[in-house]
Amino acid sequence: MEIGFLNFYGGVLGAAQDRASLIANNIANADTPGYKATDVDFTSAMSAIMANPDGTPGSSSPQVVPQYRQGVVGLDGNDVSLDNERVEAAANAGTMGAASTFLHQSTADLVTALRPNPSGN
Amino acid sequence: MSGNIFSIVGSALNAQDARMAAIASNLANVDSITAPGGVPYRAHEVVFQADPVGTDTMEADAGASDAGSLEINGGPVASGVAIAGTVLSNAPLKTTYDPGSPYADAQGYVTGSNVSQVNQMVDLVGASNSYAASVAVLQQADRVDQQMISSFQV
Repeated sequence: MEIGFLNFYGGVLGAAQDRASLIANNIANADTPGYKATDVDFTSAMSAIMANPDGTPGSSSPQVVPQYRQGVVGLDGNDVSLDNERVEAAANAGTMGAASTFLHQSTADLVTALRPNPSGN
Repeated sequence: MSGNIFSIVGSALNAQDARMAAIASNLANVDSITAPGGVPYRAHEVVFQADPVGTDTMEADAGASDAGSLEINGGPVASGVAIAGTVLSNAPLKTTYDPGSPYADAQGYVTGSNVSQVNQMVDLVGASNSYAASVAVLQQADRVDQQMISSFQV
């Protein structure tokens, strides 16, 4: 049986998880000389995952290529903006929360549909 | 779930901690003086570098399906931060004219450190900001994990 929404929300959560790692990495390297902030475009990451639905949900990495963010480069060659990264982290956490809520709701509906009729008819 | 994030944030906290330790050492030695011919105290500056994927044992074990395999232009994306080393500041040493001091040289000058308190305080604010941002990421990742777990309780 094909359960499409599992793949879909798996893809959303996988892409968001990858972004969360990249954002954490950017913040960790906020003071590293010459470091350039990286990010993935969520839309293209999602379409890459959806184009390959046979892949395990969450294993988005092979198709997703992170890009350098174009920020203001400081004197030490570092272009990480802590404010930007924290905004992105907050937005990304919102995406993950929403995806997990929707996934929970869809799963609950599916479980309700699978449950035998309580009245015994 | 967010094991990758936790290790990245852990490396960042370690690095910022080392930086703040260096600042504490510099501020403690701001008034250190040296006898003629001795080695004066020079401000320590901690240099960071992006930690390449694969040096971390957790990354090596994680396998290909992990975010650790992300690549930019064929090269691995760094994961976390490491301390590249400590460099000594090249700022000029402070000298004060105090002929009565036993540490004075032939011209009567006492050689001090080259620590600038203002620079160190600015650096401390920067380190503190970066530390706080890393802690915020940690708390957010934890919150997302908690939300995930609680939303799948039946």
